[in-house]
Amino acid sequence: MAVCFRCHRFGASAPSSVDHHRTLARKNKVWPASVPSLLAGHEAIRKWGFQMKSFNGYPLNVVSSQKEEPYADHSKAKEEQIDSTVSITVVGASGDLAKKKIFPALFALFYEDCLPKHFTVFGYARTQLTDEELRNMIGKTLTCRIDKRENCGDKMEQFLERCFYHSGQYGSEENFLELDRKLKDKEVGKSANRLFYLSIPPNIFVDVVRCASRTASSPTGWTRVIVEKPFGRDSQSSGELTRSLKQHLTEDQIFRIDHYLGKELVENLSVLRFSNLVFEPLWSRKFIRNVQLIFSEDFGTEGRGGYFDSYGIIRDIMQNHLLQILALFAMETPVSLDAEDIRNEKVKVLRSMRTLQLDDVVVGQYKGHTRAALFIDNARWDGVPFLMKAGKALHTRRAEIRVQFRHVPGNLYKRNFGTDLDKATNELVIRVQPDEAIYLKINNKIPGLGMRLDSSNLNLLYASRYPREIPDAYERLLLDAIEGERRLFIRSDELDAAWALFTPVLKELDDKRIAPELYPYGSRGPVGAHYLAAKYKVRWGDLISQYS
Amino acid sequence: MALSAAKCPSSSAARLSLGHPSLRSSTLLRPFPNSSALARRVPSRSFKNWNLNVVCKQEAGAVPASSSAEEAPSKNVENGGLFGLSSEEYGNAIGLDASERESTVSITVVGASGDLAKKKIFPALFALYYEDCLPKHFTIFGYARSKMTDAELRTMVSKTLTCRIDKRENCSEKMEQFLNRCFYHSGQYDSEQNFAELDKKLKEHEGGRLPNRLFYLSIPPNIFIDVVKSASQSSSSKDGWTRVIVEKPFGRDSQSSAALTRGLKQYLEEDQIFRIDHYLGKELVENLSILRFSNLVFEPLWSRQYIRNVQLIFSEDFGTEGRGGYFDNYGIIRDIMQNHLLQILALFAMETPVSMDAEDIRNEKVKVLRSMKPLQLEDVVIGQYKSHTKGGVTYPGYTDDKTVPKGSLTPTFAAAALFIDNARWDGVPFLMKAGKALHTRRTEIRVQFRHVPGNLYKRSFGTDLDRATNELVIRVQPNEAIYLKINNKIPGLGMRLDRSNLNLLYASRYSKEIPDAYERLLLDAIEGERRLFIRSDELDAAWELFTPLLRELEEKKIAPELYPYGSRGPVGAHYLAANYNVRWGDLSASETT
Repeated sequence: MAVCFRCHRFGASAPSSVDHHRTLARKNKVWPASVPSLLAGHEAIRKWGFQMKSFNGYPLNVVSSQKEEPYADHSKAKEEQIDSTVSITVVGASGDLAKKKIFPALFALFYEDCLPKHFTVFGYARTQLTDEELRNMIGKTLTCRIDKRENCGDKMEQFLERCFYHSGQYGSEENFLELDRKLKDKEVGKSANRLFYLSIPPNIFVDVVRCASRTASSPTGWTRVIVEKPFGRDSQSSGELTRSLKQHLTEDQIFRIDHYLGKELVENLSVLRFSNLVFEPLWSRKFIRNVQLIFSEDFGTEGRGGYFDSYGIIRDIMQNHLLQILALFAMETPVSLDAEDIRNEKVKVLRSMRTLQLDDVVVGQYKGHTRAALFIDNARWDGVPFLMKAGKALHTRRAEIRVQFRHVPGNLYKRNFGTDLDKATNELVIRVQPDEAIYLKINNKIPGLGMRLDSSNLNLLYASRYPREIPDAYERLLLDAIEGERRLFIRSDELDAAWALFTPVLKELDDKRIAPELYPYGSRGPVGAHYLAAKYKVRWGDLISQYS
Repeated sequence: MALSAAKCPSSSAARLSLGHPSLRSSTLLRPFPNSSALARRVPSRSFKNWNLNVVCKQEAGAVPASSSAEEAPSKNVENGGLFGLSSEEYGNAIGLDASERESTVSITVVGASGDLAKKKIFPALFALYYEDCLPKHFTIFGYARSKMTDAELRTMVSKTLTCRIDKRENCSEKMEQFLNRCFYHSGQYDSEQNFAELDKKLKEHEGGRLPNRLFYLSIPPNIFIDVVKSASQSSSSKDGWTRVIVEKPFGRDSQSSAALTRGLKQYLEEDQIFRIDHYLGKELVENLSILRFSNLVFEPLWSRQYIRNVQLIFSEDFGTEGRGGYFDNYGIIRDIMQNHLLQILALFAMETPVSMDAEDIRNEKVKVLRSMKPLQLEDVVIGQYKSHTKGGVTYPGYTDDKTVPKGSLTPTFAAAALFIDNARWDGVPFLMKAGKALHTRRTEIRVQFRHVPGNLYKRSFGTDLDRATNELVIRVQPNEAIYLKINNKIPGLGMRLDRSNLNLLYASRYSKEIPDAYERLLLDAIEGERRLFIRSDELDAAWELFTPLLRELEEKKIAPELYPYGSRGPVGAHYLAANYNVRWGDLSASETT
């Protein structure tokens, strides 16, 4: 197996040039089965190169093939890459997110040969640490893919050797200037690209961005900044944050992460819709009765409620993760899969939505459990309730999308269903986590001499179909940021539209000091949620008892 | 269990039990004054209330073997299977009178010593008995020319009886009880006198109950009429119903089939004739209509707008194996295509019927058949298997079978493209393929969908968009399953797509053994349910499609393309499919591994 195919992308760095692909194509005679016919002569190679570029560096794929095809030997290609380097600075290196997610994700990318040949990782924080201490700290959280343990120790060592630490204040241009010097040492004359990951509290976002952009921007390559929620706490504060960031950065330097968009099954949503004939005809108010976006955690704030209490679950989960999934789910077909085309469609959905009303929201304790009914006032979705449910300390941990279809008009088997036809409708479930799966509930005859129907599932369980470990969302998003792929990041107009939907109701909740309904730890949440669903004739799919 | 009477999921007990709860366990059939009235009344009545079956506890136990895509482990509040009325409600609803006369059923298997009788009919009857699906009073008679005692028949029958794998309790006890109800009568097939003797014996066993009689003709077609004549004249039920089950071949072309129908109708009404096509009794064929008509997600796709082609595939991995005598006179087209595959096609393609009543369904099926054009020679490929040596083992060719005439041109393989000229299916090829001595044994329906117009992911598929289309596969046998092939992103950092299946494997979802098709069909015949039997106008329409082709093949002595035993069949089948831009789904790379 060619090394490159561990990393399932062509370009390990920013989208490669047409020439590069042409060279690749000439040099390597190994092609996927269907490609040679497509690529008769240089013309086609050029075309392909062009396609590759427009397609954001994704490889051509052979759909019928279940195996990975060694398209080209990428290790050779890497030798020829232009001499550029990437420096990734994790600001807030001693924090929890950095330790648990960012460094492990960077290592996984390195392990899979997805990082550029020349790269440097810097930790930046106020704590005094040596490089060695940083490495010790990081070393504890690194793991190799379960299915590939070869050379794991070697690889870790190689990775850690490229990790360094710089201690400094977040508001000190001088400290960042020192960092700049260290970065230059590592970059040694190569074309330098720099990525800053702000793994810090939001109140110091702007300080860091100011200092970093003034004194540690790359003079020769790109400089990008990844920021993570919270992006403000309402329209106004979010608007301010965006304005401040834009004093120092242009929009295309800002990579707003919503890590749910990096989850495998959220990525797959568009593939399901747009590459399968059997789904798209059903994707509208004509066939879909309601859509449910469900997020639950089976633990509470567990002593870390400080941050959470000032935001609440509406800001923490709904306004970003669930709303982003909703937008992806409901958007019209984009012109292409390019980032701007997709984000244009998503922002249209958000702007077609009705501002959330107080009577369409049920809030649980400490806003730790909330349900909301949203509506998209466009031709496709008019009248279809999109129900969101998010909660902590519930009986189960899961994130899923449930699409409940209408009942069969004039159902010939209605006698088999009793009076409630809505109980026997089809449902498509996309389980984002845990145990990734897609399944479609269908009515089926129970085998036997009688004529009894049940609801059975057409199943796709990822664990049984795809033995490989699924990469963490942060791996995908970090790689995308390095490659300049913006599809899965939030554009500022999307963010504005998202806040516009939620801000009035958040304000009303705060102003009126509306008391949340209490619910027991580990229960299914407050009863009010059922009334909300019932108001729109919806049953929560995750609470319907299963005979399956 | 309270509703022990409802053990049989489709039992007359459930359908026609008495209103009074304490009598619910009795299995009295409703008495009917005369057979024709019964024939007309029963089906619609029992059928409209078929939801009654839902009360059966027996199937309520058919909880999935495993629940892989497990939902919340929540409580069983709304079991989706248990829709509908209880038997009690139903009994009250139809208001049966407990004072009516008790009835009995006598089932006479004519040709009792034959293979089908031994392998299928007696075991199916026992299974029905075991599941409490037969009426309380019933008698089984074997009838054939051989001299045999009752005991000898019982010994013969007992060798093939088995209990359901999942219910072995009281198995041998049940067998004994069943065998005690089996008797034998030796007689000529055309002797009214012999059938009159049978009548006497039947009467003894019926013991004054309202007698209903079912004759299963498990005999060669050339003596169908003789038996029907004798049986109807001297052993019909006087005040109950008399029904006759016949099985293919129903003639060998339009003319002979019509002659057979005329012959039968001299002695029987159409509604006394139950023409079996046992494929219609198969679980997944029955399920076809449920898939279509009780799921919103399929019906919108069920037309030329979304479906590119439909494939009906039957293959066996063995040849005639010394029993080619009968087959040689018919060939695979008559043996499999004109009946089994065409029946499945009609069910697949029919418009929505007014109801699920037998006549409504058969009306729609016959419309499909009559909307089809007779097959043209150029839309058919025929083949015959030849000897093949593999791994030191030599498999015989068709003409090596000693019961097959030398130089026989009878096809053991055929592929055909059919078209339905109606608004729903105009231009959609329905491809059939049936063959013996192929590399695999299977029966399946494959629905290939069109490609996604303006596919955003087309670069991920290469040039051939048709390779990346959705496909719905209904595997009738073996390993019953339904799966939908979808394009899916391969998990990982890239954007590579593959085709994955949304799967429903019966073995993992339903732990119970699936009943044999003959069980269902026998029970339906006893209950007067005609939905799964072929009406004479359906049969006529089916022959009209195939007769001109069959005549042309025979008149022109068209030689079949030879293919090796155990292979994938003649190459011609691929060219035929290619003519209509179709790839056989069962031969694609992902299916054959």
